[in-house]
Amino acid sequence: MKSWLVVAAAIVAACALPLFLAPSGYPIRVIALALLFAALGQAWNIVGGLANQISLGHAAFFGLGAYTSTLLLINFGVSPWVGMLAGATVGGFAAYILSFPTMKLSGHYFALATLAFSEVLRVLASSWASVTGGPAGLSVPFAPDSLLMLQFKSTLPYYYIILVALIAVTGIFVWIRQSALGYRLRALRESVDAAEVIGVDTARAKVIAAVISAALTAALGVLYAQFTYFFDPDSVFGVISISIRIALITILGGVGTAIGPIVGAFVIIPLEELANVLLSSRTAGLSQLFFGILLIAIILVQPRGILVLIKSGVNRARRGKTS
Amino acid sequence: MAFVQAVLDGLMIGGVYAAISIGLTLVFGVMGIVNFAQAEFLMLGMFIAYFVWAYLGLDPLIGSIVAFVIIFALGIVIQRTLIQRVMRAPAVAQIFLTVGLLIVIENLALLAFGSSFRSVSTSYQTSSLRLGPLFIGVPYLAAFCMAVLSGFALWLFMDKSWYGQAMRATAQNPLAARLMGINVERMQQLAFGLGVGLTAFGGAIILPYFTVNPTVAEQFVILMFTAVVLGGLGNIAGAVVGGLTVGIIQSVSALVFPIQLQNFVLFLAFIGVLALRPHGLIGASR
Amino acid sequence: MKKVVSSSAKGLSTTRRQVLTLGAATLAMPFVTRAWAADPVNVGVILPLSGANAQFGVNSRNGIELVAEQINARGGIKSLGGAPINLVVADSTSTPTTAATVGQRLITQNSVVAILGAYASSLSLALSEVTERREIPLMTMSFSDQITGRGFKNVFQIIAKASVIGAAQFDGTAAIAKGAGQKLERIAIMYEDTAYGVSQAKGVREAATKAGTQIVMDEAYPLGITDVTPLINKLRNANAQAVFPMSYLNDGLQIIRSMRQQKISLPIIGGAGGYVIPDFRKALGEYAENVLSIAPGNYDLAPKLTEDFRKKYGYFMVHEALEHAVCLDVLAQALEVAKAREPAAVRKALSETEFKGGWCDAMPGGVVKFDQTGLNTHAVPMMVQWHGDNLATVWPDNLAKSKAVWTAT
Repeated sequence: MKSWLVVAAAIVAACALPLFLAPSGYPIRVIALALLFAALGQAWNIVGGLANQISLGHAAFFGLGAYTSTLLLINFGVSPWVGMLAGATVGGFAAYILSFPTMKLSGHYFALATLAFSEVLRVLASSWASVTGGPAGLSVPFAPDSLLMLQFKSTLPYYYIILVALIAVTGIFVWIRQSALGYRLRALRESVDAAEVIGVDTARAKVIAAVISAALTAALGVLYAQFTYFFDPDSVFGVISISIRIALITILGGVGTAIGPIVGAFVIIPLEELANVLLSSRTAGLSQLFFGILLIAIILVQPRGILVLIKSGVNRARRGKTS
Repeated sequence: MAFVQAVLDGLMIGGVYAAISIGLTLVFGVMGIVNFAQAEFLMLGMFIAYFVWAYLGLDPLIGSIVAFVIIFALGIVIQRTLIQRVMRAPAVAQIFLTVGLLIVIENLALLAFGSSFRSVSTSYQTSSLRLGPLFIGVPYLAAFCMAVLSGFALWLFMDKSWYGQAMRATAQNPLAARLMGINVERMQQLAFGLGVGLTAFGGAIILPYFTVNPTVAEQFVILMFTAVVLGGLGNIAGAVVGGLTVGIIQSVSALVFPIQLQNFVLFLAFIGVLALRPHGLIGASR
Repeated sequence: MKKVVSSSAKGLSTTRRQVLTLGAATLAMPFVTRAWAADPVNVGVILPLSGANAQFGVNSRNGIELVAEQINARGGIKSLGGAPINLVVADSTSTPTTAATVGQRLITQNSVVAILGAYASSLSLALSEVTERREIPLMTMSFSDQITGRGFKNVFQIIAKASVIGAAQFDGTAAIAKGAGQKLERIAIMYEDTAYGVSQAKGVREAATKAGTQIVMDEAYPLGITDVTPLINKLRNANAQAVFPMSYLNDGLQIIRSMRQQKISLPIIGGAGGYVIPDFRKALGEYAENVLSIAPGNYDLAPKLTEDFRKKYGYFMVHEALEHAVCLDVLAQALEVAKAREPAAVRKALSETEFKGGWCDAMPGGVVKFDQTGLNTHAVPMMVQWHGDNLATVWPDNLAKSKAVWTAT
């Protein structure tokens, strides 16, 4: 009961927040981006957290979503909402195809394979210029404010749409975790062999989780394209800028937990902006360095993420008081 | 004839890819960790060789030895302070520790050295040898020879010296090695230091025909990983064959495909091998 | 102070003090007035100061800072009461989304009146999506055809676009070859596969086809190429009379060195990028001699202006620094004309005025005028050639400072 209240309160607060911010300003843009990356982290969480499949190539699905929708929009005038469905289908299908060669891989090998896959797509997007616009990227055609065409001049409508997306993805994550699928994923996370022995079809479970995660990531890619109005192969298929960042956000916040990606995103994205504001003009690389160090520190001190770190710190303090 | 030239060129550059990749496979073989930051040590090795050239006037081929020694020491320090701690942690921790290391090294280099591209000028940079109708660029040949020498030195070490044999034992079965009295932790430190040192060495020997800049590592990451996977993660001889294969694939595929897609072919080979023979074309299972 | 303000009822004894204080106050007036005269005008500068393009971002920033100093030294923007230019510099990094977010930040937090940036076409394209929707003028030297091809009203591009530069790369070469008695019949094109290489190569290709020249080799290569030997092998077998590479520095150096190793001595006509910076000459020494290149601008068009850059920073004014410098000077002139700080007024001044004088002398024709797509119609690319440590303009004839050397046998 209590957790429902907390969640409801958080959602209300999130809805009310933009009323205090300039609708086309800088803070609302940063928060909207944080919400988007939180949703991306949550989608990754489905495979990275529930199934323990560390994917370093989720940018592949992100980019597939962005390109599918935008190409449909540019060539056929199709609404990005339809584009989102199309993108999700393409992304899910790609995950299905990818699951064949990677089925027996785990750990490091799996990570490498997913990384290679997203790089293949990046090179393809860059060289197949007649279809994808090549390295120059694609611009979302300018249109007046429209919900149907998912394009607005101000950031405010995007904020709400992304917020809804985050709630939806989190909802799906929680639902999977509590469902039979989640149970099977937990089993294969502990031990694939033991799970097989008790009759869990581990291959099927892994594939279903991967397809759902990929489809959601692709749909978010469409939102990203509509929000930033422009992207190129490097921005949507980027290893460090997308794949690693998504995983980093989730791990930092607490992989496998519903609130982990949200905490992670709201730590990392605003911190990145702050570092950029304070440090960027004379000392390039300092903010990135800071993040590398933060990542290493979290891994060494508390690989289960910031939340666990804070919770254990709080527990220690509480214990200290009563003793 | 064009084909023969392509194979020859592929061999030359493949030798270097092999030298660079041996380190990565050694680390995985002995420690079971894929070091995602491996290519950053290549960049460090290049910088060390550059500064040795710029301030001491020594050719990068000599600078490569300096690079090896310095990065070997650095590798041991990193292993002891950081990597050691995640040896028993789940894969996700290991993966992201080395990813974090990648980010830290690249940005420290950016802060320390700035972003401009630096290159060396050597006397033999624009010379080549002729074998009938075939050309071999001298810097490429020199790098190839150094790579072969280092490979030979490593083989001697692994096969004939006590430390080498102890390392191989640790790779095969850490528990048994420990029971035999081998200090497994020290072997891992040695392996890591040796691994990153060799990659740094590889970076230094290609400096005569390449330019160095803190972001240069990303151009070699996929090459290194493909070479290592082709030969089987953990298999040193496999890494050599893998490196040569990558070089030849790159070179020969340019005869048929547009050069823009040379890495595309490699990625496909990479995924293909991982899917069909994860233990590599050569490797028996570790 | 109170004593001065006291009424003159105290009599003459306070008069001298009054006079002195009043006199001191009058002397201080100009300084006091200047401090209060006008608030600074904030100009946003968004460039890649980290990542692979950092070198070019830093060069560009240096050019802008030089001009800002000059403007402020002579009293700022006079029509705004002597308002000084205040540069708000930010790192776009190499990610287009960051460039856009940074733009957003400068517009809302720093109230910039205009933005200069962001060198690389992909960064400028992303940035322009924000500036267009917030109606802030963006001045850029990025030249991908897309920049001015979207019907935007707030983009101002100071140099010619990629397809024009590419066409000039070929036409200029054909003219120089003709002057040396050779007709170009077979050429080779090679280009790195990002927006710069691809869009410029298209220009070269189309101009060559139009002139009836055969393109015997036409290859894109990945930007981070680690081994150019296959590329040069192809070149050797292609039997071309001249080669047109479009590269940055790393790939450019590899290409030139590799060509020398294989004893290929064709005339080389670079596509700007890495071919026109001091590092090119520093790295290649004598092998840089007589390498030709197209360039959107060059420092020897206005040596009096560009010498200041060399004195301050120690290297010749590379074209991106020069073009950004011109952008700031044009912006300052626009502010003078607009007599207002509102971005809309500045935009109007930028699109309607014909700019002359000041740093415009460093541009071809000494004039800058933007058409309704935002393109500077007077911008004309030029051919440059390395003569020793200097990059000399050799074509077209009305801009040339030196004679071109055509090295074909």
